[in-house]
Amino acid sequence: MSSCGNPDSSEADALMPRRLKYGRSRDCVRCREKPGNIVIRHAVYCRDCFSPLVTLKFRKALQPSINASAGTSKRPRLKADGNLLMAFSGGLGSSLLLDIVHRIYFSNESVLNENEEPVGGKNHPRNADVWPSATVCYVEVCNAFPGMRDSTEELRTVVSQYPCFEYVATRIEDAFDRSWWLRVGGLPSFSQLSVDIGNPTSCDLSIISALFTPAERSPTDCLLAYLSSLPTQTAISTAIQTFIRILTLYTARSRGASHLLLGTSLTSLSISLISSISQGGGYTTREELQEEWTQSGIGSTEIAPTIRIVRPLRDVTMKECAAYARWNNITVVGKQRVPATTQGIHSLTKDFIVGLEKDYPSTVSTIARTCAKLAPKDAPKGSCLLCQRPMQHDIQEWKNRISIRSFGEAKLASDLHTPPNPHNNMPPPPLSSQSIDQTLSLTPHLCYSCHTTLTSRSSRGLKSTGSLPVPLPVWVSPPLLDSARVVNPDEDRGEVFQNRQPMRDAIAEYLLES
Amino acid sequence: MAPASCALCQNAKAILKRPKTGQQICKECFFYVFETEVHHTILEAQLFKPGDKVAIGASGGKDSTVLAYVMKTLNDRYKYGLELFLLSIDEGITGYRDDSLETVKRNQQQYDMPLKILSYDELYGWTMDAIVSRIGKKNNCTFCGVFRRQALDRGASTLNVDHIVTGHNADDIAETVLMNIMRGDIARLGRCTVICTQGEDTIKRSKPFKYAYEKEIVMYAYFKKLDYFSTECIYSPDAYRGHARAFLKDLEAARPSAIIDIIHSGEAFEVKEEIKATQKAQQTCMRCGYMSSNELCKACTLLEGLERGMANSVITDRARRKMDELRPAPDILRTIPQYRSPLPAVSVEVAPQS
Ligand code: SF4
Ligand SMILES: [Zn+2]
Ligand SMILES: [Zn+2]
Ligand SMILES: [Zn+2]
Ligand SMILES: [Zn+2]
Repeated sequence: MSSCGNPDSSEADALMPRRLKYGRSRDCVRCREKPGNIVIRHAVYCRDCFSPLVTLKFRKALQPSINASAGTSKRPRLKADGNLLMAFSGGLGSSLLLDIVHRIYFSNESVLNENEEPVGGKNHPRNADVWPSATVCYVEVCNAFPGMRDSTEELRTVVSQYPCFEYVATRIEDAFDRSWWLRVGGLPSFSQLSVDIGNPTSCDLSIISALFTPAERSPTDCLLAYLSSLPTQTAISTAIQTFIRILTLYTARSRGASHLLLGTSLTSLSISLISSISQGGGYTTREELQEEWTQSGIGSTEIAPTIRIVRPLRDVTMKECAAYARWNNITVVGKQRVPATTQGIHSLTKDFIVGLEKDYPSTVSTIARTCAKLAPKDAPKGSCLLCQRPMQHDIQEWKNRISIRSFGEAKLASDLHTPPNPHNNMPPPPLSSQSIDQTLSLTPHLCYSCHTTLTSRSSRGLKSTGSLPVPLPVWVSPPLLDSARVVNPDEDRGEVFQNRQPMRDAIAEYLLES
Repeated sequence: MAPASCALCQNAKAILKRPKTGQQICKECFFYVFETEVHHTILEAQLFKPGDKVAIGASGGKDSTVLAYVMKTLNDRYKYGLELFLLSIDEGITGYRDDSLETVKRNQQQYDMPLKILSYDELYGWTMDAIVSRIGKKNNCTFCGVFRRQALDRGASTLNVDHIVTGHNADDIAETVLMNIMRGDIARLGRCTVICTQGEDTIKRSKPFKYAYEKEIVMYAYFKKLDYFSTECIYSPDAYRGHARAFLKDLEAARPSAIIDIIHSGEAFEVKEEIKATQKAQQTCMRCGYMSSNELCKACTLLEGLERGMANSVITDRARRKMDELRPAPDILRTIPQYRSPLPAVSVEVAPQS
């Protein structure tokens, strides 16, 4: 009821903890000898005590998920079910990831004690092979945007510092490359599926299918067509992230990996959480933290192995990562900032959280901790064909109820006993001018976020692209065709607004000039 | 560009772009979809039954002014059979609430609804002006929020209504979802997207504008020529909420569906069972009989702090405990009159065996 600008003041505001002063002493809280070099949430550490702290957090976050089942032993021997794959971007977090994994799990130099036994016991990860092999996977995105340089070779040099890691480079356009798809073990499909995204009034995504022709478009052309059909900058950056994630997952699967490690720091994790929630991804908040992926929806009979996606740096802030990299001489090439997405939700969230962290340093850990206490409300309906994450029931029903986009919607007609017709003769809902296969639609196979990514428009009136068929990523077609075989379609201060000008000003950008 | 025709009726000329969907539509269709979406919200949540007495929390601001109008419209159109009242709380803020109450009084005449005004002064013996002069401008919204919540329930009980509807809109709810995640308030995060709360209170309280965009509420008022009072409170809200609000506005500018997308997120998750179990059960305040999760309800605790000149310190739990140790002193203090629930004495939501 408040016009006070404090909408939820009916629930007393808990106050935010402000920035606190440093600890009383400027000496390291751990060794209490050396002067402090870094402040972590109000406690001061020296350089020497700081690095072990980071690796401890790293192991605590990772090790409980290494063994396939928990077992009964308190300190079980660490043994993974398969190989290891690390996602590498050249950025700070993933550079740290490579270095720490190498140090803890692959630097074969067992430290021996005076009895010639390995220090830490034979179960210490350094002394046992946790994973038979390790691969580093990089996804090059330069072909998606003009003006970006190809970093594949530069990163190969970085990875070559670690001889036991194999380097695999994939490219973002592989998402549309059938030969890549077959290489990673995907099922072949004989038609090229496209989707109709350009329709501004409808949120339905009809599928247009065609047989492959010799004059097939190149993967890069398909990628560019896909990206340019997206309605917002937010959608572009989200699409790129989804593609990188899926490309990495299939690469991991083709390498027999049981674990995929990401270099996400606590800061980036809380940014992703808020960004995903702001894009309607609340249902998969859990997956944003830790995920088990089993390749979905392909008619293959063998049971696909599960890959655990773990973020071992999830308790280490960006600032701590930077200090660790500096004091341990870790090469950080740096990621190129993807152009054309700076006004997107992910970038805005990043600026917001990084800014907030300066005044309220506990924000990032609070966000991650809060989200870890959440669980999805209902059981999933299956998984989304595009992002391959769990999908809720009745998404379209919800959307149609909350925002009426056409008068032809069934829900409307059935709900209203006496629908007051705003005009007396309402014409029937328009028929689609395209001759497309109306029975096959992508919509029911998409999660809320992916559907929103493809259909939600910006108010800044991004050009309507018309209805050009847009190619779909390679992993979408086989299960979609499969499903088609079985499933049936289905303000100024202190004035009363007597004067309407301020009201008009408040909504001016939405009034169309006549 | 030639004027487009309305994306909904394909008939009339489009005169506005709908903030929620970006569709270009005509005025009549805008009224229709705005009202119908609220109607859907009410039906889907089964908020009312015929014969219900419903109080509209009215502040004179845009949300509650439009809410009163739309509630009356839908009640007539769809024959909800509701008896509607206006309920206003006078916080005692000079130059702000006294003026906005004039707007509410006009609404009372236009809509022909009975109006009840209840002031902090008569209920607690303190106006917000007096509170701010005592505690400064730091925690004033905490006091105001706690006092308002209880005042609404007490006002509703004098009107003998079953239900309070408030003008919280989609922007408010999305903002609250973000706020609760950022400050780790898991209990409120679990319930802030619930459209109707009953149980922690005695009276049903709901938000029919849960999915209505603030911009569309202003637009509706503009085209319907409703006037409202637009002043910001002179004791404006805390900086942290200000940050969250500015962020939400940026998100909305980037993609207007962000507001509804955040609410969808909030509805899709819930607090894990094992964490729910550790949350406190409800009891009644030993001093005034209002619902509370402690011996003393928040309003009584804050009021005691004010009366004893320790107001700023009772904001934290630790200080509250300290003050508790210094008790007893309550008999010489001003207290809130005993609260009598209009509902039957046994309520299923109250923690059993207490
Ligand atoms: S801004 Fe704060 S003090 Fe002012 S009316 Fe709102 S809650 Fe009360
Ligand atoms: Zn030290
Ligand atoms: Zn998806
Ligand atoms: Zn129209
Ligand atoms: Zn009380």
